[in-house]
Amino acid sequence: MAGSQRDERAWVRGAQRGSASDLEALFRHHWPRAYRAAYLVVHDSAAAEDIAQEAFLAAVRTLDRFDRRRPFGPWLHRIVVNRAIDWSRARALRRESGESGLATVAAAPQPDNPHTRTLASALAELSPEHRAVIVLRHLLEYTPGEIAELTGLPRGTVNSRLRRGLDQLAERLGEDVR
Amino acid sequence: MTRLWREPAPGEREAGERSWQVVRAAFDERVPAPYKRDWRPLVAVAVAIAVLAAAFSPPGLAVLGSIRDAVRGEKNAKPALFSLPAQGRLLVQSERGIWVVQRDGSKRFLGGYRDAVWSPHGLYVAGVHGNELRAFEPSGDVHWSIGRPGRIRNPSWSFDGYRIAYFAGDALRVVNGDGTGDRLLTRAVRPGVAAWQPSSHMLAYVNRAGDIQVVNVDLPKRFAVIRTRLDPVGLDWAPDGRSLVVFGTHTVAMFGARGGQFRRLDRGAAQIVAASISPNGKSVAFVETERGQSSLQLTGVEAGPTHQVLKGAGAFTNVVWAPNGRWLLLDWRTADQWLFIRAPKVKKITPISNIGANFGAGASLVGWCCP
Repeated sequence: MAGSQRDERAWVRGAQRGSASDLEALFRHHWPRAYRAAYLVVHDSAAAEDIAQEAFLAAVRTLDRFDRRRPFGPWLHRIVVNRAIDWSRARALRRESGESGLATVAAAPQPDNPHTRTLASALAELSPEHRAVIVLRHLLEYTPGEIAELTGLPRGTVNSRLRRGLDQLAERLGEDVR
Repeated sequence: MTRLWREPAPGEREAGERSWQVVRAAFDERVPAPYKRDWRPLVAVAVAIAVLAAAFSPPGLAVLGSIRDAVRGEKNAKPALFSLPAQGRLLVQSERGIWVVQRDGSKRFLGGYRDAVWSPHGLYVAGVHGNELRAFEPSGDVHWSIGRPGRIRNPSWSFDGYRIAYFAGDALRVVNGDGTGDRLLTRAVRPGVAAWQPSSHMLAYVNRAGDIQVVNVDLPKRFAVIRTRLDPVGLDWAPDGRSLVVFGTHTVAMFGARGGQFRRLDRGAAQIVAASISPNGKSVAFVETERGQSSLQLTGVEAGPTHQVLKGAGAFTNVVWAPNGRWLLLDWRTADQWLFIRAPKVKKITPISNIGANFGAGASLVGWCCP
């Protein structure tokens, strides 16, 4: 990751003192991974934007109470991943079926991006819980121990979800994703 | 780590730019807490002792009396609504029916109606009577009615008065302004929340998943879907139709017509109970409650700080703008008062008391329409 922990602590301290430029540095540094993590769990751009944005808004709300000795990233990622899992579960429960009569959405076309055709589509076939663990391990680069701490799962559960999820991913992508 | 993990996700950069604006706005609005040693435990103990000592002294009892007075509303209130400070007419809902209040304070009661709403120019009212949706003149003359099974509620007129959307049971229906052409729009809807886009027959409503659909009711064709986790309880378009303001229980968010969120106000634990866009489309007034206190807040649609206009004990239940945009009318239910507030700067407050006695039990403000 670009930017050292010292930078991050300085940005947090600056933002706590009211510096918008430090907050922006913190945002720019963490946004791509936060958004990508959310996207890879929910597979919906709008929802990913909402989830990552809400995590940053939560950070702004609690900025004054944030302990600068602790790293900002894991705190943010915990919020993103947990909300993304909640969103995916809720989405599965309340899936719409009554709008087929309406015409196609006039939304902007999605760019041709490897995520849309490879990794994301392969991940989409896993459960949200498996996706989250894989994203934490391979996108955000946490160790299984750290993932267990972030998600509140037993270490063994994290390992088994990782193993099973990665096997399925490798099968679909035709390459080793580890 | 495979290269796949390093690829940006679709929309990542654009979403980042939009979100930065939202986060920046939230940051600007926050009041940073100065760093202080945490004296709170000691202060809490000292305050508790002082309160106990004071509460049982004669002056303390007087203070308790003044706290009780706080929910009695503004002082020097007029005992009844003698006139409106600006052009237009009011609609007031009570348990027994609706009231139409003219500018000079004269009022007419139309019994048995509920969920009434003005037509765009204030010539007609759409309201629910039993199981019927009716369109009638403010004098009470009924032009047409239509019955539907299921509870009918929340009718709303399109900008030109040619369409009325309403909920019947779990369905969203549309009828022409002359009472013809009634049809089902969708059942995939959360009943109660819908808003017409000005200058078009586009209707925004909340589907069962909690997302906002924007649909041309004449085709019907979906124009946009706004995926949001706000759990919307209210929608309101800006008069130019380019911005949709969405009210969640704790959040106000502004979206473009095609769904891009460009502003968001997160109100923390405060619960938003009512909101209204100014006639010029530049400001949003909203009412929120927290821990037994209510406040009226004012903010810009596109940007700007959020100002607290007024705070009081108990429940503020609604706020509406005068048609000229120069006055706000606040319903302070707990105090049994309405407050006419000169906006946007609070130069003058005119309180009106005895609302329950004048309009009957459960009286609540519905709308202020049309010069």
